[in-house]
Amino acid sequence: MEHFIETIGRNMFAIFGVMALCGAAFMVASRSAVHSVLGFLFAMLCIAGCFLSLEAEFLGMAQILVYAGGIVVLFLFVVMLVEMSKKKEKEVFQIQSRYAVVAVLLGAAVFVGVFRKVIFGVASPEALVLRPELAMGLNVAKQNAQAVSRGLFADYLLPFEILSVILLVALVGAVVLAKTERV
Amino acid sequence: MASLNLVLLISFLLFSIGIAGVLIRRNALVILMCVELMLNAANLNFIAFARHSGSVSGQAFALLVMGFAAAEVSVGLALVVALYRKRDTVQVDDINLLKG
Repeated sequence: MEHFIETIGRNMFAIFGVMALCGAAFMVASRSAVHSVLGFLFAMLCIAGCFLSLEAEFLGMAQILVYAGGIVVLFLFVVMLVEMSKKKEKEVFQIQSRYAVVAVLLGAAVFVGVFRKVIFGVASPEALVLRPELAMGLNVAKQNAQAVSRGLFADYLLPFEILSVILLVALVGAVVLAKTERV
Repeated sequence: MASLNLVLLISFLLFSIGIAGVLIRRNALVILMCVELMLNAANLNFIAFARHSGSVSGQAFALLVMGFAAAEVSVGLALVVALYRKRDTVQVDDINLLKG
């Protein structure tokens, strides 16, 4: 029994990854948009589990907050607004899906061909290594959120600020796009 | 920790499912969700390489990508709503305004 649990603990990433793949496949294949959103939610939660098993605790939690808490709810609202149409979806898949499948298979073959020969060395023993002047007074292995924030605000302050401006622009753009004609 | 090859394989498969969804589905909402899925596959790679090299840059960048994804989805959903108001449909095959 203990051995079994240990095996599961070691293969956590593979379990979550396969579950995420199942959710994604359900999302693409299901006929109703609400079912697609539910598959998307499941895939996002499983990807958060993948992040956690890769020792990125802060990002796993951020993934759950941003995706499961924000984006999925937004999608559900839009599905409720939009999917009430009388015209049901006649066909789930587009007319050119045959060519699309061929293109995807071709891309997959190229990708596998490129990455087949890549041989990776051993992973670093520590999950995160900060520069010594940044890691001062911090247990980097235990305090993931603090370590990520120090790395982020030391080296990526300008991209972070630009991102906040982009979010503002997207907010204004979304309001302008979605508002009614008569004002 | 899982081997890097396994992480790459899974994120590649997620990305392929996303591309397949964008190419074969007709519903604009599902297409947007597939784009989000592709961004997440890229994020998974960022974090896997960050774990592999022990560097904090990958995690910082994944956080930035998450913010971009949120911006993108808000604009995309606003476009879908505007389109639905104008054309009464979200099926991409029925939307051929720019086709000459």
